[in-house]
Amino acid sequence: MDLVSAWVAAFLTLAIYSFLYKDNPLYRFAESLFVGLSLGYEIGIVLHRTIIPNLFQKLAADPGRNWYLVIGGVLGIMLYLRYVQRVSFLGRWALAVYMGYFVGVELMQRLHGDVLPQVKDTMLPLLPLSLASVQNLLVLVGVLSVLVYFYFSRPHTGILRPVSRLGIWFIMVCFGASFGYTVMARISLLVGRLTFLVDDWVRPTLAAILG
Amino acid sequence: MSDAQQVGGIDRRWVYLLVAVGALLPVLIPMGLPILTTPAVEALFQRVESFGPQDVLMLSFDYGPSSAPELDPMADAILRHCFTRGVRVVVLALFPLGGPNMAQGSLDRVTGEFSVEEGRDFVYLGYKDGAQAVMRRMAEDISAAFPRDHRGIPLKEIPLMQEVRGYPQIGVAVSLATGILGEYWANLVNAQFGQTVAVGATAVSAPKYYTYLKAGQMIGLLGGLKGAAEYEELLASAYPELRDRARVARRGMDVQSIVHLIIIVFILLGNVFYVLSRSERTRAGGRLGPR
Repeated sequence: MDLVSAWVAAFLTLAIYSFLYKDNPLYRFAESLFVGLSLGYEIGIVLHRTIIPNLFQKLAADPGRNWYLVIGGVLGIMLYLRYVQRVSFLGRWALAVYMGYFVGVELMQRLHGDVLPQVKDTMLPLLPLSLASVQNLLVLVGVLSVLVYFYFSRPHTGILRPVSRLGIWFIMVCFGASFGYTVMARISLLVGRLTFLVDDWVRPTLAAILG
Repeated sequence: MSDAQQVGGIDRRWVYLLVAVGALLPVLIPMGLPILTTPAVEALFQRVESFGPQDVLMLSFDYGPSSAPELDPMADAILRHCFTRGVRVVVLALFPLGGPNMAQGSLDRVTGEFSVEEGRDFVYLGYKDGAQAVMRRMAEDISAAFPRDHRGIPLKEIPLMQEVRGYPQIGVAVSLATGILGEYWANLVNAQFGQTVAVGATAVSAPKYYTYLKAGQMIGLLGGLKGAAEYEELLASAYPELRDRARVARRGMDVQSIVHLIIIVFILLGNVFYVLSRSERTRAGGRLGPR
């Protein structure tokens, strides 16, 4: 990365981190710039890497063979008709097609790729007794107690009360693990920025100044 | 206000400053704290170790710059591992917001270190929108999903892609993922097409991937910077000549260790001061619980 780019990136990094002291115009400038750039980047990449090569170029090259692509293109345009009040209902038609497709794909994918393998993975042998069977029992108790916690059709009284309480403990352990990982993720981002500031900004700048 | 309440009510900016100093020191002065490896990372490493020049690894860049500090080191380490062993690599990107740049950046950093040739030793297919649809299409024919590589060269003219038609020719597909894309590799590509899959995930996402790993839907899992550091450690142990190059994540783990210690100390102090101030209020006849 050349030094000018590094200075721009370092300025924006420090502008974002300045929010930790307090909200200020530099932070808001960097934040707005980031949002705008991200949106522009995504529009550009979808236009140049998907819509132009997959729709316009294919239609221009062989319209007779690729005529069906017009359907997708028209449905895509219809999505934006929701902003035109007189024909906004057409936007809902396109959305309905999209939702129908996505639900169909996702339903089978989730059932086949999530529900069945995960259910199968909880059907674990509990005998003969060993360390593995104790772990298997822990998994079984955890799954059942958490399911009971999320069973809301009956009040959690009687036997359901202690089981659902146990489920809360399993959920709390899960939240704790997730929070620990989240802390690690956020510190990793800090590591990335600090490494950049030291290796790509401060050191090259000092090297340039000191020769 | 009591002493305990005063200390407990410290301006949070002092905490930020302490974390910043604790994070900066290991960046300036690497400490080289030990990295312990876990079976989830070892499994992927050993799978690549078992590969030779006849094998192909698919590496999907399913993340953007916001996840780069965690996932870039994984990408670099896996590419170095493959090129060291002569394993050929098919690279693609399915994440729109920066995925193509992440892939190109990693290839630029690593390929210069090895005598590898694009088209023969690795192929970069570029970015394609519609992750699930692309994954399905590649099961039938990769060239149907990616008719040309990122340079615009038709796949049928690329020597490597003349051998690789679809998933059956891929030894393992590794997704470096943020968000939900990594899940698709497990619950779609593995579940429906039987492709061996491994995922390198951001730490935020890592817990959910353990269910897939435990169910056998993935062979390996690299969770966050720790996973990247483990892979680098395994690589450096197996190939000492790579030790100086594969160290980005290991260096970052020094920071993690210091900052985690600071956070743990503050959590303990926060609880101690909370209990102290609570008991002071109880003695003073005030109500229980936080104010």
